[in-house]
Amino acid sequence: MIHRNGYNSVTPADCKLVSLGGNLGIRKSVCVAALLVSPAAIAQPPAGAREAFQKVCAACHAIETVTSQRRTRAQWQENINSMIERGAKGTQEEFALVLDYLSTEYGPMSPGGRGAPAAPGGRGRGAAFSPGPADKQVIDEEAANRGRKVYAAECITCHGTHARGGDRGADLVRSEIVLHDRYGSTIGPFLKKGHPTQTTPAAQLTDAQIQDLSHTLHQEVYNTLRAALQIQNLLTGDPAAGAAYFDGAGKCSTCHSTTGDLAHIGARLDPPAIQQRFLFPGGRGGGRRGGGGAPSTPVMVTVRPASGEPITGTLLHLDDFSVALRDSAGEYRSFKRTSALKIVANDPLQAHHDLLDQYTDKNIHDIVAYLETLK
Amino acid sequence: MKALAALLLAGAALIAQSAPPVNSWPTYNGDYSGRRHSPLAKINQSNIRSLGLAWVYRANGALGGGGGFGGRISATPLQVNGVLYFTMPDHAWAVDARTGREVWHYQWTSHGGDHIGNRGVGIYGNWLYFETPDCNLVSLNLKDGLERWHKPICDLDQYYFGSMAPLVIRNHIITGVSGDDLDRPGYIESHDPETGDLQWRWYTVPQKMGDPGSESWPSEEAMKHGGGMTWLTPTYDPDLNLIYVPTGNPQPVIAGKARPGANLFTASIVALNPDSGKMQWYFQSSPHDTHDWDATQTPVLFDAEIAGQKRKLVAQASRNGYFFVLDRATGKNIVSAEYVKTNWSKGVDSKGSPIPNPAKEPQLDGALVSPNQGGGTNWPPPTYNPDTGLFYVSASRAFSVYYIYDPSDKPEGWGGNDRGGWGESMIQAIDPKTGKVKWTHKWLDGGRSGLLSTAGKLLFAGDGSGNFVALDPASGNPLWHANLGNSVTNGPITYELDGTQYLVVAAGDTLFGFAM
Repeated sequence: MIHRNGYNSVTPADCKLVSLGGNLGIRKSVCVAALLVSPAAIAQPPAGAREAFQKVCAACHAIETVTSQRRTRAQWQENINSMIERGAKGTQEEFALVLDYLSTEYGPMSPGGRGAPAAPGGRGRGAAFSPGPADKQVIDEEAANRGRKVYAAECITCHGTHARGGDRGADLVRSEIVLHDRYGSTIGPFLKKGHPTQTTPAAQLTDAQIQDLSHTLHQEVYNTLRAALQIQNLLTGDPAAGAAYFDGAGKCSTCHSTTGDLAHIGARLDPPAIQQRFLFPGGRGGGRRGGGGAPSTPVMVTVRPASGEPITGTLLHLDDFSVALRDSAGEYRSFKRTSALKIVANDPLQAHHDLLDQYTDKNIHDIVAYLETLK
Repeated sequence: MKALAALLLAGAALIAQSAPPVNSWPTYNGDYSGRRHSPLAKINQSNIRSLGLAWVYRANGALGGGGGFGGRISATPLQVNGVLYFTMPDHAWAVDARTGREVWHYQWTSHGGDHIGNRGVGIYGNWLYFETPDCNLVSLNLKDGLERWHKPICDLDQYYFGSMAPLVIRNHIITGVSGDDLDRPGYIESHDPETGDLQWRWYTVPQKMGDPGSESWPSEEAMKHGGGMTWLTPTYDPDLNLIYVPTGNPQPVIAGKARPGANLFTASIVALNPDSGKMQWYFQSSPHDTHDWDATQTPVLFDAEIAGQKRKLVAQASRNGYFFVLDRATGKNIVSAEYVKTNWSKGVDSKGSPIPNPAKEPQLDGALVSPNQGGGTNWPPPTYNPDTGLFYVSASRAFSVYYIYDPSDKPEGWGGNDRGGWGESMIQAIDPKTGKVKWTHKWLDGGRSGLLSTAGKLLFAGDGSGNFVALDPASGNPLWHANLGNSVTNGPITYELDGTQYLVVAAGDTLFGFAM
């Protein structure tokens, strides 16, 4: 099951798509299935998706470190973002294909997952190669939910809402007894012996309750890992100030129109995606909607050989030694770089890159607030 | 094998003045200084265009993140007596340094751990040492790769893992620990080379209130869980008998609300006595870091004249975008300067440490920060060239947005992250006397590799397009390249055998040997 207690990654909207109701367990399955068939996802990966995955991901790590994972589209997006930061290389289209491929082939309900989505993937490596021991506890969501009731009755007063301790009780997330535990193996004997402080009597728990509690505590540990949580709220800006910046200092209106290309942008993208999209238009969006789907903005290049006509096309590759492009006829052309070969490349996103040195954080939040009003 | 031990010791004795021995590469950095500058000049500016491929070794046959298809060699190979020794997570190889033929391959059966990379081996006498992702120090027989023993160096259940190349100093095998997932304390250890027994352990964060550094933490609870992992092989000055240990970022990584203060000795350069593990001095590169900017970049040792005075120096291009030069006997700061433009500090304090701007700490609604989480640079080794007097580093100028995900009063683990980004990559040549960038060579397609400089007036690097490139160290102009089909993933090395100078570099899961 993909949701974590308190940090639900299945939105109510996803559930409403197929609101069959029924008992809790069925509803959850339906919500997950809804994610897989919702417009945001695709039942079959598109053509070339597997190839893109092989090219982009296998450049740095083994395929099975990825394919042993089971994640939601949003979680895969988060992983892909983090891989890009770590140097993953690919085009806009390739990253979009990778997201489609992973979301459809390795979603939460796909067979063969090692450890299910509740096991901490962290950086998008499989259970055997992710941080922590290979035999780490795999969370049983139902048991963790039962354990949460035990926790609320017996532990919460001293150890706190998320087991992070307080004046009266130890931090259980950081407890070596908990970290060494598997399914109650060390928590059980500890509780049966009584608390070391002896200020409270040992809780009288059955073995089943201890195992449930173990799932709850490990879940709290996993919720501190880097990929566990999401953006909370970034609608803190002033829409009017955002509009003024859009038309004024930011010069956004030079190229964009809120009734043209940006019409209804607030309905199409969620605030995190809007923020990421205008800051890093060549990069990958971070929101639940629209992530990975940013339109490609090709760089145009003109190559002027020492003799002959200049060739203009879409830049495919440029390094110190060669340049490659696709010309207007669709032909692939490459050239060895020499001092006689003149190259003029025009990145249409340069104005966005230049703004990174100019924005204040307030500007950024105001723009998000403004664009979000364009429903 | 006494000869080899003697050779290693001789190498150690040499380093204060010079460079790696020409016929071997016996430590992670070639010598103890971390300069990665070779006195070899048979390959030089005048003949570099005829440098060609001598051999290829593909380290396959290993599954998963440890190698095989898609695996990555980030280790710097050691070369001793004509054999190269290198690792990937769970694997060690011995390969003929003249021909690239495999001598042996050792595979460790893993119990998990982060397989993000392994930096290589340490060698003492006829024994080899390396760390495994599941927290073991393994000793192998150099001649056949058979295991002698393995000893635990950390607790996998606490999400520690091993990745550092052990450092050998006399009868000390120095090991570090990796892992920035859970809130655990970092430490560095010394082990007996014969038995693996612990000689000493030094925690990078104070263990009780009143200890030095504890004044920079709000509570014992916070500092005992305060991180500061020892990801990278230290450097060593035999005359001062000090090792220079670069330490990792504090925990919790992003959400630092419950650890107000500078959080010593995280994100610092710390000078320790290798015999006792006692701290001599520290310098903090990133006080109260909240951006995952560890300071685990090589502290490079060299001597230079500063204001008319000959000084023993240590320099670091740190992940936070700052370049530091310190007196390596005292830790006193001499130079602090940005080597890429950043936007997160309010200048430097009286000790030379940057002052973090609270507005550029991660925020609920996001803060646009440069550099990004990857940093102005990262673990790939830099080089210092005594001929040009310049310090060279693979650098990035990059932006991302840092978010707080967990707004509670006691966030743990990460509690936030950064997202998105735009950036550009380059080689920066820095004058360590001033901290000024002498020249910049921008890569047009990314790139972040380890570096090597040689007396042949050459600087070796990798770009983002799979090219292994030789640059002019005076200007940054490219002089030669070979496309390896994969970006350079380690620090290149060089050595001479039978009168031939070799260059060895890794790209992905493959090791390439070049020669005239």
